[in-house]
Amino acid sequence: MTARQEQHYVCISCPIGCPLRLVHEGDQIIEVEGQECNRGAKYARQEFTDPRRTFSTTVPITGAVYGRLPVKLSAPVPRQAIPAAMAAIRLLSAEAPVRLGQVLLRDVAGVAGVDVVACRTMDRVMITPSDDPSSAT
Amino acid sequence: MFGRMNRRYDVVVVGGGPAGLAAALGALDSGVSRVLVVEREPEAGGILRQCIHAGFGLHHFREELTGPEYAERFVTQVMDRDIDVAPHSYVTGLAVDSSGHRLVRVLSERGGLATVECRSVVLAMGCRERTRGAVRIPGTRPAGIFTAGLAQKLLNLDGYLPGRRAVILGSGDIGLIMARRLTLEGCKVEGVFELMPYSNGLTRNVVQCLDDYGIPLHLSTTVTRIHGRDRIEAVTVAPVDETGRPDAARAWDVPCDTLLLSIGLIPENELSESLGIALDVVTGGPKVDSTLATSLPGVFACGNVLHVHDLVDFVTEEALRAGRFAGEHARQIRRPRDAIALVPGANVRYCLPHTLSADRPHTVYMRAKTRMSPCILRVGNLLERRLRFVVPAEMIHLTIQPELLERFYEDRLQIDLLPVDGGGVP
Repeated sequence: MTARQEQHYVCISCPIGCPLRLVHEGDQIIEVEGQECNRGAKYARQEFTDPRRTFSTTVPITGAVYGRLPVKLSAPVPRQAIPAAMAAIRLLSAEAPVRLGQVLLRDVAGVAGVDVVACRTMDRVMITPSDDPSSAT
Repeated sequence: MFGRMNRRYDVVVVGGGPAGLAAALGALDSGVSRVLVVEREPEAGGILRQCIHAGFGLHHFREELTGPEYAERFVTQVMDRDIDVAPHSYVTGLAVDSSGHRLVRVLSERGGLATVECRSVVLAMGCRERTRGAVRIPGTRPAGIFTAGLAQKLLNLDGYLPGRRAVILGSGDIGLIMARRLTLEGCKVEGVFELMPYSNGLTRNVVQCLDDYGIPLHLSTTVTRIHGRDRIEAVTVAPVDETGRPDAARAWDVPCDTLLLSIGLIPENELSESLGIALDVVTGGPKVDSTLATSLPGVFACGNVLHVHDLVDFVTEEALRAGRFAGEHARQIRRPRDAIALVPGANVRYCLPHTLSADRPHTVYMRAKTRMSPCILRVGNLLERRLRFVVPAEMIHLTIQPELLERFYEDRLQIDLLPVDGGGVP
């Protein structure tokens, strides 16, 4: 029989940040305490069995008001998959117009169901000669 | 309509960030139809456009959005409801004519100088970051020193990585978020240094931005010297004692090519000051009554120009209210003057608004001076509420119902945050 052990986490589900205590015997979760709401218990269980994270970054975009398009993951990926996901996103680029929620890459880093999506709409903008610094005299 | 600016409006909103956009919508909700948002950037959305991380909207939309997503929801509503937005435009002044109309002077890139007539104005200029000068870090003046938000703009909007090896001073949320962002982009973050014995950011950000990436957080430690001639080469850091004095004997050098400063925000009130609007020395923003009206009749304030918020959801809530009251004012609806002054008491750094009336519910925002856990929030002798904890980094909000003030005949209501064993209501 394995001994009871405990893990301590800080819940990241919302800004309150409840201090959580998870008691387990080997892989068996006995109890979770310290949470203000259900999401805390769910977070601690998830964190114990398969810690997942999400992140945002940008990809280059042409023809838009700025040169970068913010993107995010549609769902969290296993924490150790973050570098691979980041590497895959680094190869992407976009061209305006782009719609909010548009999928740029499916199943990022081989994680089924997690897509890279645009965080905003970026319209195509016309560069008029007076806006283009390279044509300034 | 984006890019349209007429000569006459009911309400003019100064600033097209989250506060300005919500204020414009609030004004429309109150029954006015002609609203203009003046924005200095090429597009509306404000700081949210560069805050590409998730964590916005949990209160307002009950879901977690990134900054650009949160902004786009408001920009879309503003466009759908035919509010005018003037980009690349500044408000340079404001006057009142003999018929009581407000004349707003707008300087825009394309249209030059124009005067716009309106009945109410909402100030929503936001805030700016404190810089190296505000904390007087000794040393040379090389390149490579950025405020965290500027580095965020360079990276997320323009696509420039500020450096390869960074030190971050200050553990506010922007600093923590930037630590993760720089790491993801391949920059080595040597550490986050915080003068106070606790982090000024949300705990969840310490976990998911620092702990996850193995970035050390040094509490009670600060940067005491900057080294480097053309580009920053290193910083000296030292632990501080309880009074904040650095201990030079225990100092060490951290080589770096970039220093990010995340050391606080200041409401941007140059316009308010030039108009002679009364400011609160603690918040750095205008003094406002319960309708969020400033000391200048017909001029309202909301968002980070009023006081620095930690969650955009609260900015939205406050700005919707300010917009509604500004719209009412434009429709010539006048409310009686507030009769009760709201004053900060024990462990309360500030509370807003500055005055209350007894005729309707009020949302009160306040900030604690120091961490207390648990504690009692006491509003005069009217209300006591037990709070699990208070920290300076997290704003406390409270609704005061009119029933509570029904039989309150004093002109001064004090808010205290007291330790749990600090005695009850007499």
